[in-house]
Amino acid sequence: MPQVRIIAKNFMDMVASLPTMKLDKLYTNPFICQAILRSLPPLAKKYVLEMLYIDGPVSAKMLEEWVLTDGSSKHRVAVDRLIQLRIFSETVDRKKESSYKLNTTFQINLRKHLTDREVLPREPMPPNIVARLSSSEELEAYALGQWECFLLQLINSTQAEKPTNFSSSMMKIFQRGLLSQRDKEAPRLTESGFQFLLMDTNAQLWYIIREYISNSEERDIDSADLISFLLELSFHITGEAYNMNTLTEIERHMIKDLADLGLVKLQQGRKESWFIPTKLATNLSVSLTDSSSRKQGFVVVETNFRMYAYSTSKLHCEILRLFSRVEYQLPNLIVGAITKESLYNAFENGITAEQIISFLQQNAHPRVAERIPTVPENVTDQIRLWESDLNRVEMTPAHFYDEFPSRDVFEAACDFAREWSGLLWEDSKKMRMVVKAEIHMQMREFLRGQK
Amino acid sequence: MASVPSKLYSDDVSLVMVLLDTNPFFWTTSSLPFSQFLAQVLAFLNSMLLLNQLNQVVVIATGYNSCDYIYDSSSAPNHSSEDARLPALYSNLLQKLEEFMIRDEKLGKEEPRGKLASSLLSGSLSMALCYIQRVFRSGPLHPQPRILCLQGSPDGPEQYVAVMNAIFSAQRSMVPIDSCYVGAHNSAFLQQASYITGGVYVKPQHLDGLFQYLVTVFATDLHSRSFLQLPRPAGVDFRASCFCHKMTIDMGYICSVCLSIFCKHHKKCSTCGSVFGQAQSDNTSASDRKRKAPET
Repeated sequence: MPQVRIIAKNFMDMVASLPTMKLDKLYTNPFICQAILRSLPPLAKKYVLEMLYIDGPVSAKMLEEWVLTDGSSKHRVAVDRLIQLRIFSETVDRKKESSYKLNTTFQINLRKHLTDREVLPREPMPPNIVARLSSSEELEAYALGQWECFLLQLINSTQAEKPTNFSSSMMKIFQRGLLSQRDKEAPRLTESGFQFLLMDTNAQLWYIIREYISNSEERDIDSADLISFLLELSFHITGEAYNMNTLTEIERHMIKDLADLGLVKLQQGRKESWFIPTKLATNLSVSLTDSSSRKQGFVVVETNFRMYAYSTSKLHCEILRLFSRVEYQLPNLIVGAITKESLYNAFENGITAEQIISFLQQNAHPRVAERIPTVPENVTDQIRLWESDLNRVEMTPAHFYDEFPSRDVFEAACDFAREWSGLLWEDSKKMRMVVKAEIHMQMREFLRGQK
Repeated sequence: MASVPSKLYSDDVSLVMVLLDTNPFFWTTSSLPFSQFLAQVLAFLNSMLLLNQLNQVVVIATGYNSCDYIYDSSSAPNHSSEDARLPALYSNLLQKLEEFMIRDEKLGKEEPRGKLASSLLSGSLSMALCYIQRVFRSGPLHPQPRILCLQGSPDGPEQYVAVMNAIFSAQRSMVPIDSCYVGAHNSAFLQQASYITGGVYVKPQHLDGLFQYLVTVFATDLHSRSFLQLPRPAGVDFRASCFCHKMTIDMGYICSVCLSIFCKHHKKCSTCGSVFGQAQSDNTSASDRKRKAPET
């Protein structure tokens, strides 16, 4: 099974891995330049800004002079990122001194942004055509509802009320890596599936979008087009209506899928149809850098391992069910208990104690979020203890050696293994030893030499 | 643990309070025209907003008689309709600035011109701190605040106490005060402010390249500062102003109760009312009484 890593920030890696031609094409769009700048690590942002009005190349030494010794790793990360994204081009001169130059298209676009009036990706429709726009609360509720519905369907819950329009093959692709299905068994969430559910909305969204984009390549749609449209979408104003006619064929096709995810709301007027970006869409470029959730938490954990979750969401209930025993449910409250059994269940599914704790901390109800610690220490300690209970035995692949011809050879072999720090156990009386599997090859070579 | 490492990056979200010196008495004498100065500052403000969607910029005009908020990126309407040639930030700010200048000038007419054309730094510092306090109280998630003083006018010794109080309260709430001084001589107030609060004090050598100074030094977020080498103070002028005549002095008398500073001997402390005993200054040598308070 292909290993799917669940890391929200990988989206920029995807952009970075685009071929040169496509990347250069992306940079002709000022909005993408802006979104990509915002996604950079802070130090990289600073370098770009510094060099914005410098036309020639800047020597690498000059940049490094600003960095303190303990920041040099961050400096490397920043510069590598910039080169990877082709924002910096590195040139090495005859004296082997390297210098960096900003990508010209990128530079011009950002300069324009600083001095000229910012242009909207597209003008919103005048309010007299659009019949009635929903309020921002309605829109947010719509977006979250849509997203939740999608997630419920994703984890194959029976709770999902209305199916989304994604074809089942599309859904399968999203589920790849998140669910595993053995023959004739109900599909079970994998370890990364759990991780996925515990992530916040923005991170989840990027994961899905990444899958969506990589899948679109199989359908012969240029991924650069999709990326640029998504990033552009994040610069639209929430709650304004935009005409569908301004979209290209591909975008129009895509926006239907985005509506299923809750990124946009589609509405049909008498003559024209339009789309309204929701918060999820406009937060897209924020979440590239900052995936910490900015929404209110809902969970209160008490020292007696009882957990109160003020939520009406079925999804929340499903998530809590992953690691706790839900005792009863009121219209706006889920009451559960964190028990040894429920946690063992979670650990068996590959979910770690740290994940559970960080989920509880990140989603703490505002009343307890101010307190330190937000989750009682005895609870967090106990969760960790229960996890370490399961890890009392550590497995190390190893090889067993015996029947050494002489004590000298045995001792030399022991010393050799110790030098490679691979000796796990020795019994000098019976001349037996156990050595880590990694150094088995070296060990064999060594013993052959001894003969 | 997918979301934890990425959380570190939210550290660079910053709130920059920019204190803009608009003192007309200074700008008429300055080598750098105000319009050029403003153009570079505006580009800097825009680049701060460009860096992060959550960054916030607030501009406070420091006038001769008054000071006022002239721009707040969190409450500004995104798009202005009147002036289509300029970004929204510029047109909003310029309009507010103009209104402010007119108001500031009117206030000044009644008053006779003072001897020193200093601007009201203490006022704008206090306003910035008030704003930051409000942000602190808004909730657990707020941008990292810092203050940037763009000052050109000379220090007003009569504001000494107020400015120092503002500096100490900034220090207490861990808000660094950066200062970029475009005037002729170094400003002791700003040097001390940056020194005490851990900010950066820069007096640009080439005023044409002000923008480059601003983005290289002052655009650095607090998180990145911990691993960057930023300009260090060459020397800080620690001189104080006396409380009685508001003069900057090298040596003076200090009340042992409330630490008020006086340039000459008084019978009673004007701040706390402590009665000073007979000064022994008359019979002892001058070196003995330096920087010492008379016994009470």
